[in-house]
Order: sequence, then C-alpha cells, then structure tokens
Amino acid sequence: MTDLSLTQVGLGLDRDEPTPPTDAALRGPSRGRDLLRLLAQPGLVLAVIVAVLVLLAAFFPSVFTGRDPLEAVPKDKLQGPSLEHLFGTDQLGRDLFSRVVHGAALSMKATVIAVSLGLVLGSLIGLISGFFGGWLDFALMRVVEVVLAIPSLLLSLAIITALGFGTVNVAIAVGLASVARFARVMRSEVLRVRGAVFVEAAKAAGARWYEILFRHVLPSALGPATVLAALDFGIAILAVSALSFLGYGANAPAPEWGSLVAGGRTYITSAWWLTVLPGVVVMAAVLATNRISRAVDGGRSRS
Amino acid sequence: MFTARSRRRRPRGTVLLAAAASAAVLLSACSSSSGGGEASSTDGAGTPVKGGNLTFALASDPVCVDPHQAATNDSIYVARQLVDSLTDQDPTTGEIVPWLAESWQVSADAKEFTFKLHAGATFSDGTAVTAASVKANFDSILKDGAKATLAGPYLGGYVSTEVVDNLTAKVVFGAPSAQFLQATSTFSLGLLADSSLALAPADRCTQALVGSGPFTLKSYTTNQAVVLSKRAGYNWGSQLFTTKGEANLDTVTFQIVPEAAVRTGSLQSGQIDGIGGVPPSDEAGLESAGFTLQAKRNPGVVFNLQANTSRPVPSDPAVRTALQRAINGQEIVDTVLSDKFAPATSVLSTTTPDYVDLSSSFTFDLAKAKKTLDDAGWKAGSDGTRSKDGTKLALTVIYSPIYGPSKDALELLQQQARKAGITLNLEQVAVADSAARIAAGDWDYFWANLTRADPDILRTLYSSTGANRGKLPATSDLQTALIAQAAAGDLAERKALVEKAQKLIIDNGYIVPVFELTTVLGLSPDVHDVRFEASSRLQLHDTWKTS
Amino acid sequence: MGRYLARRLAAAVGVLWAAYTLAFAILYLLPGDPAEILAAGGENTDPDPAALEKLRAEYGLDRPIAEQYWDKLWAALHGNFGVSVTSGRPVTDVIKDAAPSTLLLTFGALAAAIIGGALLALIATYPRGAGLRQLLLSLPSLAVSAPTFWVGLILVQLLSFQWRLLPAIGNEGWKSLVMPVVTLAIPVSAVVAQVLAKSLLTELGSPYVEIAHAKGVSRTRIHLRHVARNAAIPTLTLVGVLTGELLAGTVVVETVFSRAGIGRVTAAAVERQDIPVVLGVVVFSAAIFVVVNLLIDLVYPLLDPRIAQNGARA
Repeated sequence: MTDLSLTQVGLGLDRDEPTPPTDAALRGPSRGRDLLRLLAQPGLVLAVIVAVLVLLAAFFPSVFTGRDPLEAVPKDKLQGPSLEHLFGTDQLGRDLFSRVVHGAALSMKATVIAVSLGLVLGSLIGLISGFFGGWLDFALMRVVEVVLAIPSLLLSLAIITALGFGTVNVAIAVGLASVARFARVMRSEVLRVRGAVFVEAAKAAGARWYEILFRHVLPSALGPATVLAALDFGIAILAVSALSFLGYGANAPAPEWGSLVAGGRTYITSAWWLTVLPGVVVMAAVLATNRISRAVDGGRSRS
Repeated sequence: MFTARSRRRRPRGTVLLAAAASAAVLLSACSSSSGGGEASSTDGAGTPVKGGNLTFALASDPVCVDPHQAATNDSIYVARQLVDSLTDQDPTTGEIVPWLAESWQVSADAKEFTFKLHAGATFSDGTAVTAASVKANFDSILKDGAKATLAGPYLGGYVSTEVVDNLTAKVVFGAPSAQFLQATSTFSLGLLADSSLALAPADRCTQALVGSGPFTLKSYTTNQAVVLSKRAGYNWGSQLFTTKGEANLDTVTFQIVPEAAVRTGSLQSGQIDGIGGVPPSDEAGLESAGFTLQAKRNPGVVFNLQANTSRPVPSDPAVRTALQRAINGQEIVDTVLSDKFAPATSVLSTTTPDYVDLSSSFTFDLAKAKKTLDDAGWKAGSDGTRSKDGTKLALTVIYSPIYGPSKDALELLQQQARKAGITLNLEQVAVADSAARIAAGDWDYFWANLTRADPDILRTLYSSTGANRGKLPATSDLQTALIAQAAAGDLAERKALVEKAQKLIIDNGYIVPVFELTTVLGLSPDVHDVRFEASSRLQLHDTWKTS
Repeated sequence: MGRYLARRLAAAVGVLWAAYTLAFAILYLLPGDPAEILAAGGENTDPDPAALEKLRAEYGLDRPIAEQYWDKLWAALHGNFGVSVTSGRPVTDVIKDAAPSTLLLTFGALAAAIIGGALLALIATYPRGAGLRQLLLSLPSLAVSAPTFWVGLILVQLLSFQWRLLPAIGNEGWKSLVMPVVTLAIPVSAVVAQVLAKSLLTELGSPYVEIAHAKGVSRTRIHLRHVARNAAIPTLTLVGVLTGELLAGTVVVETVFSRAGIGRVTAAAVERQDIPVVLGVVVFSAAIFVVVNLLIDLVYPLLDPRIAQNGARA
C-alpha cells in the first residue's frame, strides 16, 4: 500500500533523465500491432479483463448482481461462498458479492478523484516549474523534494486530520500526497521538450508563451505523466483501501473495499470469506492496473 | 478482622435506593459495564492457588488510571485494583459493608457522614491511611474540577471534611446528599496517598500512583500494557472479599489489544487469560472450546434511539411512534447479539429497580407503523422513502463506536426502518467528539445506552434540568413525575412515579428501545473467581489461576 | 570530504525545517477550525462560543497565523512540540516513548526487505531460461499488490491462531516481531527485488561481464562478486525512501498486530484530530529520513570514491 509509490522507481518511471523523444511515441503505434502484442501476452489480457470488470462494476453494478448490497436477510447470515452467494454472506445476511461489486463504485470514485487530482495539480506544477525555470522552478522543486521526504501515507493522514473523514476527503488526501511525484516527472519532461526543435520553431514564429506552453510543450510532455497516472491508479486503490480500513472513509453501511475487509476482521475466525475475498479483489484490481501501466510504459519506450 | 460492627442506616426508602443507585453514572462510554443483576460467576473450583500472573486484554489504552479521573471501562478496570474505598457494596443485595471504614454514622438530615477507619491500613509508600487522608482526597477531587468526571458529582454540595481524630473523619455537605454513602464504595472516591495528591492531575494518570489497594502500579507502557503487582502485607480488604489478606495473584497484566478478533484468538490460543466485551459471534466458539463466559445484564437505560424533538421530522409524534413499531428488537438480538442478550421491554432494563414491562406498547408491527405514517400524511415515495409536503422521511442517526456490535445493530435497524419507508442515515462520531456533537443538536436520533443501578437515571437523562438531549418541554407530566420520584419518600409512591415516567417516555416515542446490554467476559478455564463488583467493574483481589 | 559532509548536514537541517513548515501549513491552513477540534478532542470541554474563544486564546489561535508559526517553530527548535490535546502529555514524550519499538520494527523490516528482495533478485536473474526467470520476476508485482492490512490479518489468523507458531500480540521478545516485520517487509522487498533485478540484468549485459566470461570465471562467481556489488548502488539510493514508507506502514501494521508504537500513536491522533501529535510524527519521520540519508551519504564515498571528490551524487 504505502510502499507502492516506490514501484515507479522499479519501473523506471521516476527517472530524471528524459527518454529520447520520437514522433512515433507521440502518434502512438498502429492499432493492429497493438492488438497482436496484447494477445501474445496472456497476463496482460487477463489484466485488461479484470480492469474492465472493475470499471463495469463501478459504473453498472447491476450487470453483475441484482441484489441490494444493503438488504439484510438475518436468517441467511454468515453463510460461506456458494452458487447462491458467490462470496458468501456477512453477519447481517447481506450478499458479500453484491457488496464488493457495489463497493467498486465508492472505491473507484475515490481512486479516480485521487489520481486526477495528482495528475492535474502535479502536472500543472511541473509544467510551470519546468517551463519558467529560474527562482520559481527552484522554489517549487525544493517544496517537491520535501514532500517526497515525507511518506505519502503519513502525508495523507495529516491531510485527513485537517479535513476530517469521508470518502471524498480520503480521495483528496491520497491525491494531494501524490502531487509531488507527478510534478517531478512532468518537470523533467518539460525540460526535455522545451529545447526541442518544434518548440524553438514556434518561438521563432512569434507564438505567445501560453500558446507554446499549452499547444506545444504540454501535449509532448504529457506522456510520462499519463503512464505515472496509470501506475498511480494501483497505488491509489491501495492507499484508499488502507485509509478506509483504518476507518477514515465512508459512513456505514456504504460498502468500500477497505472497510469491507475491516468489517470482516471481527469474524475472521468464523467467517474467513468476509476478510479474504474483498482483499483478493483489491489485490486483483491493483495487479491488473500495474500490469497495464507497465504495458503502456513498455509500449512507449519500445516504439 | 472486622471486629467493629458497621452501623448501617436504613432510613427512608429514597436514601437506600439512591445509595444503591449512584453507582457510576456513565455516559455510553462505559456502556459495556454492568452493575447489579445476576452474576453467573461463582465456580466451586476448590481452594484458591496463590501466585501467578493474570493477563487480561483491554480494547484501548486506559490513558488515565487515576481512580479520581478514570471514566472509561478500560481505565476503571485498572484503577479499581489500585485503591480501597471507605465502603463496599454487595453486588446482589446493594447493601453497604465496611472496607477501609469499619463503621460510619449518617446524620438524620443526610448532611453529615462520620467514618471510623481501621487502624493499620497503609498506602504502598508506607504512609498510614488516616482521617487526614480522607480529607486530602475529597478536597483534591474538588480541586480537580471537571477532570474528576465521575467523582466530582458524587461530592456535589460538599462543604468540608473535619478530621475529628486520627481515624475519624466527618464529611459535611451543604444540602442532603443521601447518595454519598454508596458513592464512598466506588473506585471514584478511592483513597490515594498524599504523595500522589500532590501531583498535577495529568501527572497522576500513568505513574507515581500510590494507593492502599490489593495491587500496586508496577509499570505503564502506553498502548502496550499496564502491569500491577500484588501489595505485600495487604490485610484490610473489603468484607466482601472471600480471600482474606493479600491478593491471590502475584501480578496482573492488562494487555492492550485493539482488534476484537485478535483478543478472541489470543484467548483461544492461550496467549491471554481473559477478555472483556466478547464479540457475540465468538461466544459459541469460546464456550464450546471450554472457555468460561461470565455475563451480567446491565442495569440502567437500554440501548435505544433517542429522538431530538426540536428537529422538524422527529418533532412529529407519528414518526416517533411509527419508528418504535418498525423496529424488531428480537431480530437484532438474534442476528447481531446472542442469547445472553434480550430485546428491550421498557426504557429501563429488567435489572433496574422499578422497571416496568411496557413491551406491549411498542411491539414490532410493521403494518401498524405504516398505517400510523399513512394517517399522519407521510406518503410512500418511489425511492422507498416516504415524504410529506416535500419533506423526506430521512433521519440522521449519530452513534459512537464504543460498543462493538452497535454498528451491526444499527445497520440492521436501518434495513428494518426502510421497510416502513423511513430512511436512517447513520453517522459515526468519534468518541472524543460525541459530547460536542450531541450538544450541537444537528441530529435526529442518537444511539446510546447508560448504565446505572437506579431509576433516577431517567431524571438525569430526560428531565429538562438534566441532560435533556431530546429537547423535551420543560413542563409536562413527564417532568413532574421525574422530579417527584427523586423526592418521593415512600417506596411504593416512587415506584408508581417511575413507572409513570417510563410509560410517558415510551408512549410519546421519545426513545425507541432496542436491546438490553449484557457485559460478557471470556475467561480461560484456569481462571477462577473474577468478580463483578456492584458498579460492575472487575475486582481481582479474589481471582486465582490453576497452574 | 569535510565540505561534502557540511553541505549534506546543512541540507538535512533545511529538510527538517521545511517538513515542519509543510506539516504546519497542512494542519493549520486547511479548512477546519483547530479550536473546535481542540474543544471536541479534550474531555469535558463544552464547545460553547465563550469556551472556544478561551481555547483560541490559550493556544494562541486568535493571533495571526504567521505569528503562531514563528512561536511554534521557535519552541520546536527548543525541543518543545506542544502537548497532546487528548492526553495532555508533551508531544516529545509521547514520541520518545513510542519510538524505540517502532524503529526496531521499521529497521527490522528494512533489513528483511533488503535481504529478501536481494535474494529474490539474485535467484530470479540467475536462471538462463526466460520462462523461469519471468515467473520469478513476476513475484514482486504480486507482493506489491497485496494490501498490507489484509496480509497481516491473514498471517495472524494462520500463524498465530491456527498453527500457534507465533504470538499475535505484544511488543516483547523476537517472536512477537516476526509477523509484523514480515508483513511490513513484503511490499518493500518486492520493490527492492524489482530495482535490483533490473540493474542486475543491465550489469549482466555489460562488457566487463562478457570479458569475465571469456576469461573463464564461473557464472555464479560473476553473478555474486561483480554484478551484485555494482547493482547494490541503485538499491542503496532507495533506502531513505524505503525507510520512510516502512515507518508510515507501521500505522497499519501496529494496529493489526496490537503493537505499541508511533503507528498506533498516529492512528489515534488522526482519529481524535490531535494536531500537535500529528505534526510531531511528521517531523519525526522527516528526521528519520534525514538521518538515514546522511548515513547513506557517508557510505557512498566508500563504495564509489568519485562521489567524495565531486561532492555530489545523482
């Protein structure tokens, strides 16, 4: 969870030296080749399927289950997984599968808010810092360095202390804690692009600074930030679930992945499925987004 | 040991009742406690064994184990072992018996209490327990002000303590204070040595706490454990102690284990000897594995939803009474709790004096609930929530996560209410924030119970001069009954008034009674004679372990 | 060397100050009235307007924020981080009491993560077959995707309650340390394995390895002696960040394993919005980060003498 912010290091996403730019990277490889490469990798196919399922569950839960995630049927309480209840039932006789499916909506909402916040705010800071340079760049980057010195979970906790509890606050806390990572990646890309031929050409042609910034620099520099966003998705899912496990998330009885695990732990001795299955789902979702982000990154550097 | 005979005053009914009652008025913070009622603890497992260590799991850090300041169960469990009280109270009869005081006298107007202490009792720093100690302690509690959450109110109207002679202390009140004698039996008025009283309240919390009790504070490690060791040479125990002299156990370790499942698992795997607040879902498993479940039904106000009558929706009596009918307490007990619990049958629990069975006034009846709402103009809506003149029948319910099963109970309750077209929005409030949140009044219903062995608790909670969280009107039959019962001299008269008050609270729908709390301890089969004292806390003097 | 150290030390102090300032900004500038939080957090405080005013005055919250900041920073420089709102104890005492057990856990997990990650990386990069290599290399991504709290709960259930091998609770003895350390180390060891495997693979492809091969040095020997040593440097760079993440991870792990320490203090402080404690914990973690990085800076020149001469590292 906390530690995931580090995978980017392993994946080479946090590099300060920019990757050599190619036109192909900007235009993207042809679709046909993409599909072939995808099919050649069963792991990636599986990851895409899982990700699609999770997104589907978040937006159209009724595709998977017609059961109400809140409806309690006391006589059916604490039943193990069966065909009737795929994931079993909880202490009030609610269908756990339905709760996990509907939980995807809240967890994904928080994740999307968190990642978007990190991406937009971080990119903006990185863009400004890299483009204008000088003392502004110096000051912003020192702040970014300090933020990176504080573990992201701790930073999120500090933000929650100030903002209070709730799904949206958790999402904001996770998002703000990732701003520095995006800012750094964005800045190094901007630095690389800033000196590129087409930017110089635009300058020579008399384009305004904001035109250069948003029309030329931003689109070219956005690539790595988007890859980081893909990876950040997995990090955010884990961070959000950890915070909702600690009890800072949504109010009862709204199902959230982390709070489902948290709620099940009292019954871990008698009803293992309440803890184990939501955890497996979280893990599958994170694995899938990580795998996809790696493929996106690989695709970028290969082409 | 106790040669002198105690002179118990058996005055007018009120005094005795008030005395039996004053057992710790606790906010829901101590809801998992109990006081009085059926104790199922005694086991004739033979002669107590001396020595050994008992490890008992606490759910949270006690924060402050000073008996004068302690106010949560986790702190009280520890504090009780460290100090002696002037008197003790029999948990079954409510009778006050000698402890540090060998005898006492109460003036006819209940304003003056004279205690004659035993000679020979000493604090663990070697200083003697004297009349001056009594004075120093009571004066100190007054000085602690609001920090003495429970102890402070026991000394309401306190004027001074006169040191008559070395072992005789006379406590003087400005107004009659009949509850005071019973209060002296609580840990809250337990005696500390001068060296402890000299410290600032915050410094007394976790260290340098010197009492005369059967155990002394050996170490306190925040969030980890509190270790007590036996007081050598202790021989001034309460008359109720079955083991005379020193405590049986050498040491007691209160281990802090926040996870309920880990507490149960650790008990089962033999890593700890006892746990409090056994999750109902674990009861059967523990029992079948040979563990002892020691249970006690708590007296006082049952777990209930209290209406905030100043809010628009719950100000409608139809909504309040319909909600009572929509809730199925039996189903909650069967699903979330266990057979050690029972659905509520009044605002008071069955173990409270003057309780009256009013279950017929709010039996679960969904059809009736719906009809009441229909008649009052609350129309069923397409989203399942009724509405009236554009107002949704949606109620904000606040609760604190003090009692584990509360969350599950409320989630089930929410589903039950939904069937009648009532939406309950649950909002968890941190324990520390609950007082402020209640005061803010931005809620429709409040979930809590309150443990106390006297019906006067009704006045504390529902009279306009008491807590009155529900913003009930200042003049009404209920207010009259509540005030009158406190002053009633005659037992039968008081009983009638208390019954009337219960009936008015239920019939007006001021609360939705749900279930009666039971305190459940889980103990290793090797552990014997863990006692519930009168105000429901652990008393470990007699406890012993087969090795 | 002396100048190199002096510069590092100055930077360290700068980071500490900045971390304090950042935490202060988050906690005092974000929406939410600290006085109301204080009033709600303390026991028996009646949050009526007058009491709130009194509290604001008492904690200096009625003064301009800049003034508060300088006062608090000045006090912090003298080792005074204020008192906990909930327990009334000085924040420094609270942290000092909780720190040893958490540091033991953190550094235990760091050691376990480095050893475990290195072993995995070495083993995974050793086989020539791509299939086996791929399989072993996919282990870290599995480990990194599992929620820590979930892994911890399952370990407790299996190792402690089912098989009764290790105690589930407590701070005493090495046995109680095993499960928390493992839980905390799993995702971090995955990161170490990923980084190390990557640089191992790079090193294996470099010319000097080919030369060594040509000279007839055994594969195992090359792998361990030459490659591993060179690959260790990028991993070392990570240790500072890893330590911080491990420290933050104790918030979850200490809760799951009922261990006392900084993590539990933090969780409780967030729960009760105990701002001074949260601020103290953030500065504490920054201090650990700074100290660990200073130590790494001392080790670096030993591994690579060029650094000491240039006085900087990447």
